[in-house]
Amino acid sequence: MQALIIIGHGSHLNAESSAPVYAHAAAIRATGAFHEVRECFWKEEPSMREVFDLVEADDVYVVPLFISEGYFTEEVIPRELGLDGPAPSVTRKLGKTIRYTGPVGTHPSMSRMILRRAEESAGLTDEQARRAGLIIIGHGTERNSNSAEVIYRVSREADEAGVFGHVRTGFLDQEPEVGEVLEAMEERSVVLVPFFVAEGWHTQETIPDDLGINRPAVSPVTEKDGRTVFYASPVGTFPEIARIVLERAREAGAHIPDGVAVGEAAGV
Amino acid sequence: MSDAPRVRGAHAPGGIPDARRALVEWVDAAGDAGRTFLQVRLLRTGDGLYEIRHARDVHRSILSLETVTSDPYAARPIAQMTNGGEHRPLKTAPNLRQGWALVDLDARALWTALDYLYPACALHWHAELAGTLRVTHWREVAARQSGMYGAVKLLPADVVRNTVRACCGDAVCLRRVAWNVDADTPLDLPSEGETTGEALVPCPEACSMFVSFARQVLVLERAPRMELTGLGRLGVEEIEQVREIATAAAAGTLGAAREGEFGEGTNSRRMRYLALRLAEEKARIGDLPAPELPCEGCPKAVPCRGCPMVA
Repeated sequence: MQALIIIGHGSHLNAESSAPVYAHAAAIRATGAFHEVRECFWKEEPSMREVFDLVEADDVYVVPLFISEGYFTEEVIPRELGLDGPAPSVTRKLGKTIRYTGPVGTHPSMSRMILRRAEESAGLTDEQARRAGLIIIGHGTERNSNSAEVIYRVSREADEAGVFGHVRTGFLDQEPEVGEVLEAMEERSVVLVPFFVAEGWHTQETIPDDLGINRPAVSPVTEKDGRTVFYASPVGTFPEIARIVLERAREAGAHIPDGVAVGEAAGV
Repeated sequence: MSDAPRVRGAHAPGGIPDARRALVEWVDAAGDAGRTFLQVRLLRTGDGLYEIRHARDVHRSILSLETVTSDPYAARPIAQMTNGGEHRPLKTAPNLRQGWALVDLDARALWTALDYLYPACALHWHAELAGTLRVTHWREVAARQSGMYGAVKLLPADVVRNTVRACCGDAVCLRRVAWNVDADTPLDLPSEGETTGEALVPCPEACSMFVSFARQVLVLERAPRMELTGLGRLGVEEIEQVREIATAAAAGTLGAAREGEFGEGTNSRRMRYLALRLAEEKARIGDLPAPELPCEGCPKAVPCRGCPMVA
């Protein structure tokens, strides 16, 4: 028997943070690829400290629904789960073999998924997308360069794919600041994709307010300075993320039968 | 060390199957009365079939309930929000919403549904009964914290005790704290009396809400305090908190602060902590002596007797 555990940050304050974890877990549960699929969190229940007690299977795959490698994936999660090391690692304890994988955000298929999602959520044809710009928005921090690195890499891969006219990177807490990046875009039509795991204060309020565009609760589209700006949902909420979670588990050795497809209805 | 990482989590040597069997037998033995587990009632409704409802909904007609389903995973969104639509970061807070029934559950589905309403609780209940609960004491939990929570290890034992009383009482969490400051330093908590429901669900280790609250307490405890006549030694933030509480109570907005919003003076755990602090100071300074000054504008001499204003 094999079990999948998806780890999220969770929040003491709002339900949005854990919502994508539950949605992707439900989508994967519906495929029947795992005997058990369980969610656990840093700030909500069940906690990481008790999650291995909550699955019966001996083969356990642990996938963090995080954007980048860093403090949480390399320090907090291995410590709280009592693992032998950061991903990729194999720990044998409690009669179980526990395989810990890298976060979803660093998976190589991330850039393709973002491109497809950006096109779809803005309702652009391939031709329209080639004439549009795409900005991938990261939180960024001066303290940890990993979070910026993954976003730069994904942006570079997305740019090289040639689906959009230009793909650029903008941050909230470091240079280049997203507002300046948007101003400098040549395209009349720009899609913004927040490289965040879940909806929250930044995606719903601070980003749109700072950019002077509609909050997503009002409209995903804003006409501004002769330009059409499409504001997409955060990447962690895309239904395709469930596929990346499955892919992470498969790469770690999980048996996923050919033809297993994660339903599209699992959007958050 | 009470709990090496290698064995951590092994509350249930027999695993889930043992605990599930014990739960089902316990519910079966109760017959038509069912069993109350924290805030829900578990009832055998047929051959190998079970129902879960909020304990306060047991006498309601099933037609009057908004959600009736045989999907055990429906327990997850039920446990997410209070009746008022507030996020529930702690599933054992005594604010589980009403108006639902999970029906036609087999033993596995009963277990799954209960585990989404109350994560790990049935397992810990069984481990407590079986004597296999693994407890991690506070000093060990605090020692492994890092980053913004690293400082919680500085909390002295008596402050940890008050923090537990404020953060973990039945009014805010239905689990019963099973851990101590460390193996040699008991928490010595006052008795909370009967448990809610028929099952004692132990808390084997401080949760993330506690760690986060402890960090807030540390800030309050490290603030300089001044002696205030009649109130005792209070910090500036504590004095401001008294004002905030009075203002919110007067405006009818007390209770608006979210459960995990520990920066707010009107947060329920913050108020519980302040109440303990004020009681502690009162015990130290004793009752305020009778005033020896006349009331403002009163011509009468001191001590005052038979004040016409009072009459």
